[in-house]
Amino acid sequence: MTQTYSAGARGQLTSGGVIIAAGSIVAAILVLLGLVYAAGTGARHQAALAAAGCEPGLSPSGQQCTTAQMLTSQYLAIATPADQQLAADVAGYDASEMHSVAAARAALTAQVVSENTFGTGLAAITFPPAMTPVASALLRDDQALAKLTAQQARSASLTRMRSFNRRVQAASATVQAGMKLIRKDL
Amino acid sequence: MARSTVGSRALDDLTATPSPGAEGPQLQRRTAKSRVDEWMEVDFKFGGSRIKRKALALVLLGIPGLAPLFFMTPALLTLNSNTFSVSVDDTLGTGAEICLFLCLLVSPMVTITGQHWFVPLRRWYGIMMACCAIGDATAASITDTFAGGVFGRLAGHVFTLMGFFMTMLVLPLLATGNPWAQRKLGKYWKLLHRLIYGIWGLLAAHLILLEGLGFQSGSDGSGFAGDGDPVFHQRFYQYSACSLFLLLLRLPPVKRWIAARQKEGRNWLVYVTIAPIFALFLFGFIFVINEEIFKGMDSFTEHPSAE
Repeated sequence: MTQTYSAGARGQLTSGGVIIAAGSIVAAILVLLGLVYAAGTGARHQAALAAAGCEPGLSPSGQQCTTAQMLTSQYLAIATPADQQLAADVAGYDASEMHSVAAARAALTAQVVSENTFGTGLAAITFPPAMTPVASALLRDDQALAKLTAQQARSASLTRMRSFNRRVQAASATVQAGMKLIRKDL
Repeated sequence: MARSTVGSRALDDLTATPSPGAEGPQLQRRTAKSRVDEWMEVDFKFGGSRIKRKALALVLLGIPGLAPLFFMTPALLTLNSNTFSVSVDDTLGTGAEICLFLCLLVSPMVTITGQHWFVPLRRWYGIMMACCAIGDATAASITDTFAGGVFGRLAGHVFTLMGFFMTMLVLPLLATGNPWAQRKLGKYWKLLHRLIYGIWGLLAAHLILLEGLGFQSGSDGSGFAGDGDPVFHQRFYQYSACSLFLLLLRLPPVKRWIAARQKEGRNWLVYVTIAPIFALFLFGFIFVINEEIFKGMDSFTEHPSAE
């Protein structure tokens, strides 16, 4: 019985040794392959940037070139919440423009905040040279819309406030068109 | 009488300072391993009070477990649904993965080093894993863009369903992760807590369904190739690299083999054999931490990254 136990224990020790040795060899090969792969990181990085239409040599010194994927993600991170917030603010204004100056003013003030937040976020994004004119135009249009909405919010009466509606709608349509252009370019 | 003799002999074994060559390798190893645990039990003065070295070491090693929740705190305080929607899965999901691996790392480290002072970290990282997983599921159920209401957002896709199962499994572990529950459940406690292995397996399914088995090539596939290392950013590869070490060191034949080598005083052989597997673990784990830090910092500054 003791002999059987010893043989079993030896067998288990051997199987344990084989398992750990096999695991160790596989791990060593994988680590070596990983190190070899890591040696090509620089070349792959340049290739990825070039594939994304972003020339590394043109990017500012010390600043990583932004790929199209990163740019889209940065833009959507500011545009999506701004869109949602503005839709809610516009609905708030529409609901109160006929009967409550205070409520309408609050909705317009919220719109101004949303428009300014979008503008600040947009200004913080570094667009590639090809997109800079469109982005700058969108920023200007957004600032103009925010200025106009702020003027509308300062109106003393509902009639005066509603007189801004057409101009604000036109400015808003310009901003929407600019946003569509940016999305198309991205 | 006999028991008393055995008891005093054991005590002698632990406290005796062996003269070189006089004692066997087994005793030397046992003394060495107990020395670290004993050293950790010693108090030191800090601001008028006495603190155990072990307590300080455990606090320092446990602090990183709070990082994922810390990264999401600004978004929670400002109720920034956009940050939650875009990056909570990367920040808290990856955080839960890190805490799971650290929780699972404790037993192999005990096997290799023979030390036990860091065993409380297993419970701590288990609790942190549960908090991250529950936080991730809660935020996803509210802010995700998937259709189908709360349940659709939690389990509307197969990979989210796997995450949902993991969160469900983590709940009983969190509820019973205390000494009182351990006493009440008795022998069933250990059985129940083997659910952690189910969570570990479901994580593999979750990651495979999320990213597939391939890696990004050009603009196709999973991961993000912007830094030229798409293979290292493939989450299932990271998981596999980490899991090999954690799995092998749990296999009974391997544990017996290690114990036998340690008994022979050939610890060096254990370290040499384990080294490549541990290096692979570190290789994978570094990129998981890299993901957590970069996505976490983006979440912390409330400029979430959707990469």
